[in-house]
Amino acid sequence: MTDPVQFMSHHTAVEYAVPEPSRLGVHFAEQLARARIIGHKCPQCGKVYVPPRGYCPLCVVETTAANEVDQGQKETEDYVQATLLLDGSDTTLMVTGLEGIAIADVRTGLRVEAVWAPEGERGSVSTGIRGVGLGDAVKSWRPTGEPDVSRDALAEHIL
Amino acid sequence: MWKLEFPYRRSVGPVIGAFLTGLRDRRVIGVRTAGGRVMVPPFEYDPETGEPASEMVDVASAGVVERAAWVPEPLRTHPLDRPFAWALVRLDGADTALLHAFDCGSADRATAGTRVRIRWRAETVGHLSDIECFEPEPA
Repeated sequence: MTDPVQFMSHHTAVEYAVPEPSRLGVHFAEQLARARIIGHKCPQCGKVYVPPRGYCPLCVVETTAANEVDQGQKETEDYVQATLLLDGSDTTLMVTGLEGIAIADVRTGLRVEAVWAPEGERGSVSTGIRGVGLGDAVKSWRPTGEPDVSRDALAEHIL
Repeated sequence: MWKLEFPYRRSVGPVIGAFLTGLRDRRVIGVRTAGGRVMVPPFEYDPETGEPASEMVDVASAGVVERAAWVPEPLRTHPLDRPFAWALVRLDGADTALLHAFDCGSADRATAGTRVRIRWRAETVGHLSDIECFEPEPA
């Protein structure tokens, strides 16, 4: 070897001793293994903590198995998550809620249009959108029936 | 146990780069300042004047222990897995000392003034660990 040394590997590692999981943590994991996500609902303020902490830090009260609630997955049927390129845009949106089309028929290049939520149900600016995605404003997306767009026309856009 | 790792790759620059390149070839390279002092390991600047120091010079692979601190129970991350000494070694031809492990076997041998030499690693890569440790120089 004749090339001069220009770089040096510098490997640093930190090891942490992790405490044994709490009984509540073990219970949470056991329920996960049964495809169930649980939380604890504070008996005073009603906030739900997932994973459960065994207490509400705001009200400073203990929460127990009596406060256990089911959380998480609302979808019970298969659905499609799609990356959508709006006409005239170079950036894409992640969307769900394709309607009027079987999952097996969803494909790259499929043209869809927004099904807007009724006026007044499109979420508030402060809580609904937060600068990401379309919030609740669009209920779903349905095929327009127009011919598919070629894959090449989708290239060169920012994903 | 959780392990958090930081696998950095650092750019070493022309002076430390030359030092590490030398180690890869089993040579120790220092730098001579305008005042004539030879620093090993080399600095990029003369610590007394701040002037760039760029005259690279070879020094010997053997020298003398200036200070030593005995380590009776090495940690997992130490360079040797048996009791050893941390030693400041001034190599012949150098005016400053290099800190490294000294495999001297017992605490009473970890003394200033002891002649030592480099034990090179079987395979060198261009890293300070190419010096496995220092060992007593045969009489």
